[in-house]
Amino acid sequence: MTDHITIDQTPALPPEKPRLTAGSWVRQNLFSSVRSGILTVIFGVFSFFAFKVLVNTMFENPDRDWLAVKTNLRLYAAFAYPITQFVRVWVALGLVLALLGLSLGIWRSASAVAARTIASRLIASGLTVLAGTLLVGPPVLRDEAGEPVYDETFEALRGTWRSGLEQRTGWFLLAFALVAAGVALWFGLGSRRNTLTVPTTLVVWIASGVVIGSTWVVRYGHYGLDPEGVPVGDPDSLVAMSTRMPWTVMWLLVAVAYQLGRFVSRWNSSRLLITAAWFLAPFIAFWVILRDPAIDYGHVWSTDLPMFLGFGVLGGLLLFLLADPKIGELGRFIAFLLVVVAALTFVSGFYGWFSMLQKARISFCLLALFALMANNFAGDRQTRLRFAGAWVLLIGIAHYFITLMNSPSTLELRADSFLGGFLFTMFAALFGLMFSFPLGVLLALARTSTLPIFRLLATWFIEFVRGVPFITVLFFFDIMLPLFLPAGMEAPDMAATVLGLVLFSSAYLAENVRGGLQSVRRGQYEAADAIGLTGAQRTSLIVLPQALRVSIPPLVGQAITTYKETSLFAIIGVFDFLRVANYVVPNQSTPVNFIGHKLEGLIFVSFVYWLGSITMSKYSQNLESKMGVGER
Amino acid sequence: MTTEGEGTLAGMQPKRVPLYRDATVVKWVTQVIALLLVLGALFFLVEEAGANLKAKSIPNDFDFLGINPGFNISEGIDKDPNTGGRALWVGMVNTLRLAMSGIVFATLLGLAIGIARLSDNWIVNRLASIYIETIRNIPILVQIFIIAVLLGSAGRLVGDTGPINGWFMVSSKGLAVPRIFPSDGFYQWLVVLAIGTLLARAVRKRRVTHQDLTGAISYPNLWFGAVLLLVAVVGWFVHPVFGFLNNLFNEIGDAWGSIPQSGAKLVLAAGAVTASLLWIRRFLNSKRSPAGLAKLTDDDMFRMIFAVIGGLLVAFVVTIGWPGLSSWIINSGQDFWHFLGDKFGDGRTGNPVDAMRPTIVGEGTLLNYGSQGLVMSPGFAAMFIGLTLYTASFVAEIVRGGILAVPKGQSEAAAAIGLNRAQALRHVILPQAVRVSLPPLGNQYLNITKNTSLGIAIGFADVVNVGGTVLNQSGKALPVIAIWMLFFLCCSLTISVVVNWFNVRTRIVER
Repeated sequence: MTDHITIDQTPALPPEKPRLTAGSWVRQNLFSSVRSGILTVIFGVFSFFAFKVLVNTMFENPDRDWLAVKTNLRLYAAFAYPITQFVRVWVALGLVLALLGLSLGIWRSASAVAARTIASRLIASGLTVLAGTLLVGPPVLRDEAGEPVYDETFEALRGTWRSGLEQRTGWFLLAFALVAAGVALWFGLGSRRNTLTVPTTLVVWIASGVVIGSTWVVRYGHYGLDPEGVPVGDPDSLVAMSTRMPWTVMWLLVAVAYQLGRFVSRWNSSRLLITAAWFLAPFIAFWVILRDPAIDYGHVWSTDLPMFLGFGVLGGLLLFLLADPKIGELGRFIAFLLVVVAALTFVSGFYGWFSMLQKARISFCLLALFALMANNFAGDRQTRLRFAGAWVLLIGIAHYFITLMNSPSTLELRADSFLGGFLFTMFAALFGLMFSFPLGVLLALARTSTLPIFRLLATWFIEFVRGVPFITVLFFFDIMLPLFLPAGMEAPDMAATVLGLVLFSSAYLAENVRGGLQSVRRGQYEAADAIGLTGAQRTSLIVLPQALRVSIPPLVGQAITTYKETSLFAIIGVFDFLRVANYVVPNQSTPVNFIGHKLEGLIFVSFVYWLGSITMSKYSQNLESKMGVGER
Repeated sequence: MTTEGEGTLAGMQPKRVPLYRDATVVKWVTQVIALLLVLGALFFLVEEAGANLKAKSIPNDFDFLGINPGFNISEGIDKDPNTGGRALWVGMVNTLRLAMSGIVFATLLGLAIGIARLSDNWIVNRLASIYIETIRNIPILVQIFIIAVLLGSAGRLVGDTGPINGWFMVSSKGLAVPRIFPSDGFYQWLVVLAIGTLLARAVRKRRVTHQDLTGAISYPNLWFGAVLLLVAVVGWFVHPVFGFLNNLFNEIGDAWGSIPQSGAKLVLAAGAVTASLLWIRRFLNSKRSPAGLAKLTDDDMFRMIFAVIGGLLVAFVVTIGWPGLSSWIINSGQDFWHFLGDKFGDGRTGNPVDAMRPTIVGEGTLLNYGSQGLVMSPGFAAMFIGLTLYTASFVAEIVRGGILAVPKGQSEAAAAIGLNRAQALRHVILPQAVRVSLPPLGNQYLNITKNTSLGIAIGFADVVNVGGTVLNQSGKALPVIAIWMLFFLCCSLTISVVVNWFNVRTRIVER
């Protein structure tokens, strides 16, 4: 536990491959045989035309108006989040990015990109931009309002090729800059380009720096349009509404956090702390920063604090006693009693025997859970104190967040929720994953256990959920959950639908974890038994760490699926990222008519989804090859 | 249950373990309590939902299945259903139609792309990998929306234009392609084909035996195809011979209809009980070795008790619990045989299969596709294209993974015994690749079926969409959701049974 393993940071060099000259590369890869040559010609022509159709459909087309996206970037990001409070979005993002930087610094990734690859990628992307710019047809003529001009046969009028070339100077400059950078790198490094590697993190940071830096020169989006349809200038009075300053701060923040992470990585507890911070971050970002609850301090002093003290002190005392190795059967009896009490608090809610705060019910459940675990933490005084301390900490955090969620928001909202756009997508994906993970592990354990009823229940649940489409589960929770709850209980904002996501992905997660559990050898169980561990200790200390390690790649795959699945919330009417593109923007008529402009938004949305998924999937592939899954 | 007498070593007194410390007792008491908690929670929730619905005066029943739904369905086998049940059935048929066509085309496209991904040719390889990496990382719903928008902007339907004039038409009204459909004598021809298959198999077997005995290459598969083709061609003209099946099936139907209800009940109940007893016998036999019956664990006892309870439960349901079931089985069986009988005889002498090109009907600007061609509504087309493209990217990865999973030694060995590349692929590599790919492929088929439910987002009348309309009109949320889930569970079960069957067939037979 005391020293962490230092991984050799230099990646193992792949076996030397002979570098091919351009001619022999073409011969080997494109014209190795007659058949291959024919394929090259056919698919070369095909990809040329496909690319041409693609850029023309996307850009130079009378139906396209990219202002629909440019003007509405704020809606895409946060939907109806109040403009005056928009700085909160940046703070929340900054929190997440700071944590990301810290984690990158602490767990320094060994992956690196060869300089040769960077140079050739730069040249290739520059050439692609150049080709796209040249292949786009002549520009569509538009009137002052931005509407295309048609002739009598309803064909859109187009300008000359020459005017198109003049209008697209920016794109030519971009292509030239990319190619120039690539060529400079290629020849500047000389023969060192084959051996020099740059850490992936640095490459990504520099690339994002270039993009962010360009926002100081090029204006990609608009804050809005005035009634005449002219872009309103950057509202510099509201820094949060511009993008260049906040993004630059974010960019620097990541760098600072990275260096800080490198510095603190020598402390052993830094990893534990940063993991805990990741678990708390979504709650803080969404409920503290973004929602800005108006906490009623009168209620806090009169009810919340006494309740916390009651549960914390009395519960801690009780757990301290229960963790006494000498307590014997009495401990089991008390734990059993607590389970009954916890169940009764809910039953009483249903029958209205006596009213009780929802918080108290949850607290009783947690207490019963801790009491059941107590005998695993039985030991000397210090162990017991630590156990009781953990309880106080956990119940404190739980009470704090429940209080936050119960307090009304201070935001003046025009929609029924403070979350929308990409913020909602992130919210659903993060919380869906965070809560479905423990549930999935529990389900997997139940499904592989030797206890038939637990196994049966878990199997039925998993197979049932895996057999039905997500949208029916969403409908079920959207419509039914409010009906299921009695008068005294209520679910917080959007909890119903996110609960659906949690249950749905937990079933799939459970199957991934089960695969990992089955890969743990029998000998490991027997060895754990032999050194006298209890069942819970055996599971948590021996079996699960090995099982989870194996199932990390499929778990990342499941994370990608969950991220993509959040798009289905658009169907049940949540104003998420996709719904903004598919419903909100195409119905805007003032100040500029964007009615019917769906495709621009959908392309933008798919690009953002794609970026997130591909990042995760590349990360998972890296991880897989690094861990050598399947080789052990 | 008792541990008394166990582990009695010399000088050690057997100690009676108190009941609450007995491992078996604790284990079972915990489980029963957990079960009761789960059942109790479910019971409370359902009761609460019922009470809440009652407060809104929406009874939780299935009445809507029998009454007029009061809406039309945009496409399907019945556009103006007269009952809610019929409406849902139309939705189900639409879902199945979409799922099946999606499965077929996604498999073909995925196979092609997966093989292209392994090509030596750089450009083919690159195109395949760009396709996969793009399509599979974008949510399917977004892709369906994009395709729907593109189809919607495809332009109005005009006179006689189309990319391939009269064969393939694209417009904002959807796609139309020529339709091949079973015609007059199709079922009679099908009987001929079935007989032909049996014949061809017999011939193939003889050829294989011949090849094994003499070593001479005797083309068994070629023979199989030739015989089948011959029979099919001959059957095309002589199929009316089988018109007599009309009478036969009608007779069977009449006989089926005359089964008394009590008899049917008895047979069903006895069947259920016998099945459970047979299962127990097989289970016990599997525990028996030459040394005698193995010691049964409490888990085993639990399984056997569960089997008996299950059998009795089914018996109870068919005899007393649901008396309508047996008469339903009798009636629908009779209907089925008569339905089958109608497909034969009665002057059915025409072509078994016909084909027609799409037509356009209507005047002026109110043009629409006629019923001759195979018309895909914009909703169906968007769903179909979206699902096919999306799932194909996953199928391609599965195919690639399956082929790469075959050890290199296998293809080297195939080359060493003189097979050429096609033969090696056909006889050595693909059979092994299929074995690896089948389970994940089955998962993808399941995903297509489940993803058809996204039709609700673009107005394709699948079961979820129709159910949603019923739900909005009647407010009966729980029954509609139950029907949805039951339907999809049935689909999942069917697919997994089929995939399992193939899986068992392709499994390595170990010595």
